Amino acid sequence: MKLAKVTGVVWATQKAKELNGCRLFLVQPISGMDEQPNGKPFVAADPRNLAASGDKVIVVTSTDAAQAFDSGFAPVNASIVQLLDDLD
Amino acid sequence: MIFAKVIGTIVSTQKDENLNGKKLLLCKEVDHTGKPLKTYHVAVDAVQAGEGNFVLLSYGSSARMTQFTKTAPIDAVVMAIIDDIQITEKKNIKKS
Repeated sequence: MKLAKVTGVVWATQKAKELNGCRLFLVQPISGMDEQPNGKPFVAADPRNLAASGDKVIVVTSTDAAQAFDSGFAPVNASIVQLLDDLD
Repeated sequence: MIFAKVIGTIVSTQKDENLNGKKLLLCKEVDHTGKPLKTYHVAVDAVQAGEGNFVLLSYGSSARMTQFTKTAPIDAVVMAIIDDIQITEKKNIKKS
């Protein structure tokens, strides 16, 4: 799992059926609450409708990203699974 | 998922039977601003994309996670056609 900040919204009308109703965000991995960029930005799905622009989130990558969907079956490489409130 | 631009279609007659009826697209990877990168990908089309479309590619084993590509021997799928990318936080995005 990675810490990331939501830096943009990706609009796509034509999507794979499994992704219907799911929003896509551009996220930038960050190193901590100071929001220092840590790697290249990528696209993450938001199956639980958690995030909005500017939020800090936790992103699951790789095959496990599909597990964030109710069906457990979706062609995604990254999913937003939690909002990050604070780090100690 | 990565951004890509469709630059062509691949025609092949002799292929694995699980690929029958699936269109193969040649895609060039781009960054979030649309700037072309050096990598090319061959991806199966799951959304009726065409040449010139700006699309999202899913790669690796996740590419098989659509009803359309469930049993196919593939590692990249075009799973969305991008209409627009709205960037809200410009200053903190790292350039690729």
